Amino acid sequence: MNFIRIIPSLLLSNKKLVKGKKFNNHINAGYPSSTCLALEGQKCDEIFLIDLDSYKYQIDPDFDTLNEISKNISTPITFGGGFKNIEQVKTAFKLGADKIYLSQILFKNKEIINEIKNIYGSQSIVAGINIMSDNQEYYLLEDKEKNIDILDHIKSLIKWGVGEIKITFVNDEGSENGINLDLSKKIIANTNLPIIFEGGLGNIEQIIDMIKIGANSFAIGSMITFKDYNIFKIKQHLFNKGYKVRF
Amino acid sequence: MKVGILDYKACNLGSVFNSLYKLGINPIIINNPKEISEMDRLIIPGVGAAKNCMDYLKYNGFIEPIKKFLAFKPILGICLGMQIFAKKLYENGLSEGIGHIDGEVKILDAKIKFNIGWKEVEFIKKIHKKFDTEDLSSFYYCHSYYISLKKNNYCIGISYMGSNKIPAIVCKGNFIGTQFHPEKSQTNGNKFLEFFLNWKKN
Repeated sequence: MNFIRIIPSLLLSNKKLVKGKKFNNHINAGYPSSTCLALEGQKCDEIFLIDLDSYKYQIDPDFDTLNEISKNISTPITFGGGFKNIEQVKTAFKLGADKIYLSQILFKNKEIINEIKNIYGSQSIVAGINIMSDNQEYYLLEDKEKNIDILDHIKSLIKWGVGEIKITFVNDEGSENGINLDLSKKIIANTNLPIIFEGGLGNIEQIIDMIKIGANSFAIGSMITFKDYNIFKIKQHLFNKGYKVRF
Repeated sequence: MKVGILDYKACNLGSVFNSLYKLGINPIIINNPKEISEMDRLIIPGVGAAKNCMDYLKYNGFIEPIKKFLAFKPILGICLGMQIFAKKLYENGLSEGIGHIDGEVKILDAKIKFNIGWKEVEFIKKIHKKFDTEDLSSFYYCHSYYISLKKNNYCIGISYMGSNKIPAIVCKGNFIGTQFHPEKSQTNGNKFLEFFLNWKKN
């Protein structure tokens, strides 16, 4: 069995790390390179680095900061945020990305999956699924009419050839309320790809609840940014409960 | 020491470059097959699709210089960089590999077709008398194809996908290949890269 993956989820804006709630109200959360170096020291399994500005202002992703981080650590980096074309993807791999994270573009141009797949292989593409909830009703963030079935959307992306799925519960992001277990169970049962869960994890018990339903990879933001947890501590707890983690 | 990284225009070039730089090496990015023979060590990175990579190497005249280099000096192939040394590869249609290793590259036959994350390597042979494998246990993997070997005598380490064994380290002559990514495997990966940089055949 693979080790349980604990993945810091870092948001980048104006060359600094930020952290928000429900995709909003971002506040300063430290310097990228030194934070990543510390996270590597705590044995994080990968790092997710998402540039917020490139999507918001329609500019190039912050490749300089990506390269600066890559110079400091030997941990896999998944880089994302507002990719518009294959040229930007190529630049990211040249400067230190190991995997590419796509989310918004998947609603406008699925063809980019083919382009990346043929050059870099499916294993290099992580598809982001942003899930909103409204009175127990779940829908995709980008789907304002609430027409698209979440599981159908995931199945279609698998068919197109992505290698990994990241599920983000947007409403719960930064809430520390835990992740919706029923929906997560359904997603796991219907997906034959590795899945990373994100949004709302606030304590170890919530992670353990998710492991019990079959999840094994977690992207974590608030829990390590603003609370007295660190990766090592989380792993130590999981290890003590008998789960397979890597130190 | 001159360490070349072969840039086949589809790999995590930045990651491999930066990892070596941290170890005190100033790697040279190889874009021209003529530069290969000037190197002391050659590294072929991973993260790429097999057909695209083999086509690039063939059309740009890299195959013969790689074979010549292999006769005298060490090559490290990472992930796809290892797989291209097999005879046949099946990603995005059939392509012919360099053929140094008697094996074929096939899709992982498991419930989950992608092996992404950290796994332990079980060392079944010693690569080198001086190579201490004791605390080298887990490495980072990211692949959906694996090398299926005709004979196991070149397999140094294995890892498990469910109950299936897949080769993790393959070594033949001056060639050493890893299915995992040493450049992304933190302390263990750095130790492995250092071993390669100092590697002389037994």
